[in-house]
Amino acid sequence: MLKVNNIQTYYGNIQALKGITLDIGEGEIITLIGANGAGKTTTLMSICGVVPPKQGEIFFRGTPIHNMTTEKIVALGICQVPEGRHIFPGLTVKENLEMGAYLRTDHHGIKTDLEYVLDLFPILAQRRHQQGGTLSGGEQQMLAISRALMAKPRLLLLDEPSLGLAPLIIQQIFEIIRKINSEQKTTIFLVEQNANLALKVAHRGYVMENGTITLADSAANLLDNEDVKKAYLGL
Amino acid sequence: MTSSFFAEKEIYNGLLLSRTIILQELINFLMDYFLELLLGGLTKGSIYALIALGYTMVYGIIELINFAHGEIYMIGAFTALIAASILNMLGLGQITILILASILAIIYSSAYGFTMEKIAYKPLRHSPRLSPLISAIGMSIFFQNYVLLAQTSDFLPFPSLLPEFEFLQPYRHIIRSPEIFILFTTVVVMVLLTVLIKFTKVGKAMRATAQDRKMAMLVGVDVNKIISMTFVIGSSTAAIGGVLIASFIGQINFYIGFIAGIKAFTAAVLGGIGSIPGAVVGSLILGCTESFATGYVLSDYEDVFAFGLLVLILIFRPAGILGKSSSEKV
Repeated sequence: MLKVNNIQTYYGNIQALKGITLDIGEGEIITLIGANGAGKTTTLMSICGVVPPKQGEIFFRGTPIHNMTTEKIVALGICQVPEGRHIFPGLTVKENLEMGAYLRTDHHGIKTDLEYVLDLFPILAQRRHQQGGTLSGGEQQMLAISRALMAKPRLLLLDEPSLGLAPLIIQQIFEIIRKINSEQKTTIFLVEQNANLALKVAHRGYVMENGTITLADSAANLLDNEDVKKAYLGL
Repeated sequence: MTSSFFAEKEIYNGLLLSRTIILQELINFLMDYFLELLLGGLTKGSIYALIALGYTMVYGIIELINFAHGEIYMIGAFTALIAASILNMLGLGQITILILASILAIIYSSAYGFTMEKIAYKPLRHSPRLSPLISAIGMSIFFQNYVLLAQTSDFLPFPSLLPEFEFLQPYRHIIRSPEIFILFTTVVVMVLLTVLIKFTKVGKAMRATAQDRKMAMLVGVDVNKIISMTFVIGSSTAAIGGVLIASFIGQINFYIGFIAGIKAFTAAVLGGIGSIPGAVVGSLILGCTESFATGYVLSDYEDVFAFGLLVLILIFRPAGILGKSSSEKV
């Protein structure tokens, strides 16, 4: 579904990605784990065209997207929940969700999906007319995921959905991630620092270090891998 | 003796009565004067508001003080003058001329605003904030001199296009028809703008872009288009302001944009820059302050009071009257 072929991305003169190659299949949950500053977020930003790669290619369902603008990439069906959630603070919960469906024109489908996400996170239905900025961290994360789902993405990119949340909320959110994947058949690319959690929901995983991929294997194998255990699982 | 007593009393009563009448007259006069100043101030404030909207909207979305915005207003006034002169030769009616000239002014000003953003600000979007600011000042100087060369440095008479209402004749000493017309037009523009920003898809995208540009991109908003749109809307309201004030005062020259721009900028800061209701409130307060300062103190002190107010606001409430209270959670 998504093929990332040896991309190199720079911030000014600083090289953040030194040749990343990834392959995400239809319907999979793939996770990318790694320490702070390894380049995980940059990888997502390169896929979305926010920080376009200087070299290398990205194909989405056969279409080259590495030279496309962000809104065109989003229109193809790639949607990101960025790190830090980035809720529009002055828009109400409902308006935030409507912004998620910005590129869609099928009013009927939007309405159905609105009901679906409010069903998924009932707390958001209660907060419908509240401003996004007044929600708690967990609620904001739920809103951010819901907003992305409103775009009806084929590929959902999640950047650190567990960051700064209480364990109970994290569990709830990972439950939903699994549900979205199994019910909606949405392919999910999950970037996480919480490697243990991420590898438990994912089918396959990539390990990233200093702008390069150092390991690629099935999630189960990675959980058993001695190096991964030592470096990321704290065992 | 008795008769003289009555006469005295009558005179006394008469004096008392005339004193009440005089007092009444005085109160009436003061009331009328107050109303006249208030309505004059509101009219002036409306014009400031039409210009201040452009400052505040552009600031809200790209955090740039567009110092060339006053010049867009001036270009609107000039376009209307040229259009009105041509249409007048065709022998059209006053209202028709006003409407057509306004539409042309809006189109021209929008085109200038749109192009200005593309040429002077867009290439500098990722530069330090000082660069687009300097670019804006450059655009301002360029536009002034461009009109100076293309037109003239003299004051040009502007035809009074604003309609006269018969029913306002008895209140002439308080308010004149053009002022009512300006107030009414401003209210209509404000309502339309509010509807646009609050309820339309474009409006929602504008607010989203202002609040979080990167995230707006990630939900598929074409941010460049939204920024252009903001410039076009701001330029349009400035053009309407330009036509109204030129027609009200009756003369224009290439320099009117500078003064009006500074005042509208002051109003936008007063109300809280980035906030649309703030720009309107700030403008009305500024207009009334100037009006009362002129009416009760001394006309020379108009600007002293206007900018004095700005200094006070900046000291005691730096975010402006309706400045953003940050409800953002990190």
